[in-house]
Amino acid sequence: MKPGPTLVLDELELDALTELVNLGISQSAISLAEMVRDEVTLSVPNVALVSRDEAIRTLGEREAKNLVAVHQVFEGDITGRALLIFPEARSLELVRAVIGGSLSIEEIIELEQEALAETGNIILNGCLATMANQLHRSLKISLPEILHGEGKEFFNLAPPPDPGDVVMFIYINFAVRNSDIQGYIAMLLDMPSIAALKALLVEYISRVAGESPA
Amino acid sequence: MVDKQMQPLQSVLDALDAGLIVLDRGRRIVQWNAWMASASGHAAADVLGEPLDKVFPGVVAGRLNAAVASALDSGVSSLLTHALHPLLFPLKTRSGRRLLHDVTVFSVDTGTHPTCLVHISDVTMEVRRERYLRDRQNARYDAILASAPDVILTLDGEGVIRFANRAAVVHFGYSEQELIGSPAAMLFEPESHWADAWRRVLAEGKPQQPVELVAHRKDRSLSYFSLSASRWQDASHVFVTAILRDINERRAADAALRASEEQARGAAAALADLNLTLEQRVQERSAQLLKVEEALRQSHKMEAIGQLTGGIAHDFNNLLQGISGALNMVQKRVREGRIGEVDRFVKGALSSAERASALTHRLLAFSRRQPVDPRPIDMNQLIGTMEELLRRSIGEKIRMRVDEGLDLWLVRCDANQMENALLNLAINARDAMPDGGTLTIATSNERFDALQASIRDLEAGEYVRITISDSGVGMPPEVQARAFDPFYTTKPIGKGTGLGLSMIYGFVGQSHGSVRIESHVGKGAMIEICLPRFHGNLEPAERNDIGSVASHAGSNEVVLVVEDEDIVRLLVVEVLRDLGYRALEASDGPAGLRILQSPQRIDLLVTDIGLPELNGRQLADAARAKRPDLKVLFMTGYAESAASGDFLDKGMHIVSKPFTMENLAAKIREMIEFVQPR
Repeated sequence: MKPGPTLVLDELELDALTELVNLGISQSAISLAEMVRDEVTLSVPNVALVSRDEAIRTLGEREAKNLVAVHQVFEGDITGRALLIFPEARSLELVRAVIGGSLSIEEIIELEQEALAETGNIILNGCLATMANQLHRSLKISLPEILHGEGKEFFNLAPPPDPGDVVMFIYINFAVRNSDIQGYIAMLLDMPSIAALKALLVEYISRVAGESPA
Repeated sequence: MVDKQMQPLQSVLDALDAGLIVLDRGRRIVQWNAWMASASGHAAADVLGEPLDKVFPGVVAGRLNAAVASALDSGVSSLLTHALHPLLFPLKTRSGRRLLHDVTVFSVDTGTHPTCLVHISDVTMEVRRERYLRDRQNARYDAILASAPDVILTLDGEGVIRFANRAAVVHFGYSEQELIGSPAAMLFEPESHWADAWRRVLAEGKPQQPVELVAHRKDRSLSYFSLSASRWQDASHVFVTAILRDINERRAADAALRASEEQARGAAAALADLNLTLEQRVQERSAQLLKVEEALRQSHKMEAIGQLTGGIAHDFNNLLQGISGALNMVQKRVREGRIGEVDRFVKGALSSAERASALTHRLLAFSRRQPVDPRPIDMNQLIGTMEELLRRSIGEKIRMRVDEGLDLWLVRCDANQMENALLNLAINARDAMPDGGTLTIATSNERFDALQASIRDLEAGEYVRITISDSGVGMPPEVQARAFDPFYTTKPIGKGTGLGLSMIYGFVGQSHGSVRIESHVGKGAMIEICLPRFHGNLEPAERNDIGSVASHAGSNEVVLVVEDEDIVRLLVVEVLRDLGYRALEASDGPAGLRILQSPQRIDLLVTDIGLPELNGRQLADAARAKRPDLKVLFMTGYAESAASGDFLDKGMHIVSKPFTMENLAAKIREMIEFVQPR
C-alpha cells in the first residue's frame, strides 16, 4: 500500500513547503507588479497535499464547471505539471485587471487568451523558479498553454496519470486594481517526484535550521 | 566567430520564419538570424557581441529583463505576449508596417555556458485575421441589430447606454452619439417606472416579463414601449440588454376599446341615473296621483252622495212617512179606544225607524274616509247589507234582482271599496237605463281552468264571481276598451268623474282579482268581478233584518194603491179603509197596470211616482188609455219633480211626502167626491 498523501510529508515538511510556496508566490507578485506597474497582492491562505481524485472533487464542489487553466510542465529532480486554475467567468476580469487602461470589451476579449497565458506564466514561473532556487535545484519549465474545461480534464492529461499521483493544492488570492480573484495553483506530482520533494524539503529544513542560531 | 561546423545550423536558423536571438550570461548577443536582421534593420554583423540593451535601448528592462534572468538563472521559460507587451521590439514587416509579435524566452543549456534564447514570433497576420473575423462577425451582428424593428440598447451596470441600434435613433429622435453615454433613465417617464424595472432586471437577471413603459422622444412627445430586458455579465461587468417594442398601436387599440367600454359604462351609468330619476319621478308622480286619486275618490264619493241625495231624501221621506203615519194611526186608535190594533202600527213605525237608521248608517259608512282594510268577506252578506242603499241609488224605475250563489266561498278584500264598487256599478247601470230596466247582481263560485283564467288575466283556480248586469243601452266596443281608463267617461261634463271603473279596476287588481265588461249595443252590459277564493273564516258581522209589513185591503169605493214601499202602502191602505174605501194594492207599476187593465172597479189611483220599471206617470198614462177619466193621486218624495207644472193632467193631483194621514185622507176624499165636469 502506498502511503496516503497526507502521510507523505510530515508536519514540519509541510510547513517548509508552505513557506517555499509563499516565497514563490511573493516573487510572482513582484514580477506581476513590475509588469502592470501597479500594486499586486498574491496570498496563499492554504497549502494541501491531496490525491488527484480529491483535487477533482474539491474543484467540482467549490467551482462552476467551466474553468480555465494555464498549464506548464516542469522537469528536473522533480517532474510534474503546474496548473493555475480560475473559473472561466473570472478570466476576463483577471485580464482586465492585468491590462488595466480603457480597452473596450471586444479588445479585451481579443487579448484574453494571450494575456491570460502570460499572466499565468508569470505566476507559475515565479512560484516554481523560487522554489527550485530555494531547494538548490534547477527546473526546466515549459511555456504556458491555456486549457478550458473541468477539473477532471485538467488532472487527467495524457500520459495517463498514476493513481498514486499527488496534487499539491495551493489556494491563492489575487488582488490587483480593485479586482479580487480567487484561484488555485495545482502541482501534479508523481510518486518519485514527491519522494524527491520530500528529500529536498528535509535538506532545506536542515539547511535553514543549521543557518539559524539554534 | 561562427565556426565552420556551425555553418549549416546558421543556414537553418536564417531560414526560420521567426526571430531568434541568443544571449550569453552577460546579455550579449551571440546569435541573430536573418529574420531579426530584416525585421530590426540591423545586420547580424552589426549586433553580434553587443549587449541587447544597446541594440534596443530601454527594451531589456522589467519583464524581459526578469525573463532573461530567470531563464539564465533558473531555466525558466517565459512568454511575453503582444497583448501585454505590444511592440516590445521596434520591428517592421517587409512591407514596412509595424510587426506585431510575441516573445518567448528559454534557457538553452549548452553545457558550459548557460545561454538564453529569445524567440520572436510574428503574430501580425494572426491578429489581423482575428480582427477581420471579429469585424465580419460584428458586421453581421450589427446588421441584425440595425435592421431590428425593436429598439435594442445595451446598458452597463450603471444604466448608462453603451450601445443603441438604429431603431433607437429612429424611435427616440436622439443621435447615436447622444444616446451612448447617457443614462437610459432619461428616456422614460416617470423615471421611477424605469427605476423599478431596472432594479428588477439587475436583481433577478433572468429575462423579465415585458413591462410597459412610457418613453419620451427628444421632441418630448410620448411613446409607449414594452420592455424586455435581460442581464448578462462578462468577467467583471454587468450589462443589460433592453429590447423595447413599440406598442403605440396596440395601446391605441386598447385605448379605443377602453374608451368604448368607458362609453358603454357611461351610457349604462346614465341609463341607471335616468332609471333612478325616472323611478323617482314615477314615485313622485305616483304619490301625486295617489293624492289626486284620493281627492278624486273623495269627490267622487261626494258626487255619488250628491246623486244619491235625491233618492235618499225620498227614502227618508218614505220612512218618515211610515213612522209619522203609523204614529198618527196609533194616536187615532188610542183615541178611538181600539188599543188592540195599535201594536201593528207601532211595529210598522219601529220597522221604518230601524230602516232609516240602517240607511243613515250605510250613508255614513259610505261617506267616511276608510283605509283599505282587506277582510274575509261573504259577498252575499255584503250585497245583502248594500241592498237598501243600492235600491235607493238606482231609483224606483229600475228593478233590482239579487241572485245569490249557494254556499258562496269567502273572498278577501276591503269591504268599503267593494261596496263603493257595487254602488258605482249600480249607478252606472242606472244611467245606462234611463227608461228603467233590471239590475241583476249575481254571485257564484267558479273554478277557472287555464283558458278561462287567462282570458281574465288570472291564474287558474277558485274564484268568486260577482256580476252586475243591466238591461240598458250597452256599450260599443270602443267604449268598453276604454272603460277602465281613468277620467274616461261617457257622461256629460259635471255628471261624473270618469274614475269609477278605473278605481274598481285598481281595487280589484289589489285584491288579485279581475274585472271585465261584456256588452253589446242595445243588449245591456255585464260587469264581472272575480275575486280569488279565501280559505278561512268569516269575521262575524251584523245583519239587519228588516221586518216586512203585511198589507191590507179596503171596502166601498175602490182605490188602487201602487207603492213599492210597503210601509207607505200599508199606511195609505189603512187611511183608505178608515175612510171607508176599499183599497187594492200593487207594489210596482206592472202589477198596478194589470189591475187597471182588468174590469175591476177603480175610483182612484194612488201611486208613487218613483216606481221600478214602470213609473207612476207611465202607469197613469197607460191606465188612462182604458180609463180616461181615472182620477190619479201621485205621491212623491221628489219635491222638485212635483213642482213641474206640465206633470199633471186633469184629474191628477199630487201629494208630497211626508204627508200626514189627515192630509192624505182629505185629499183622497176630495178627489173621490169630486165629480169631474164633462
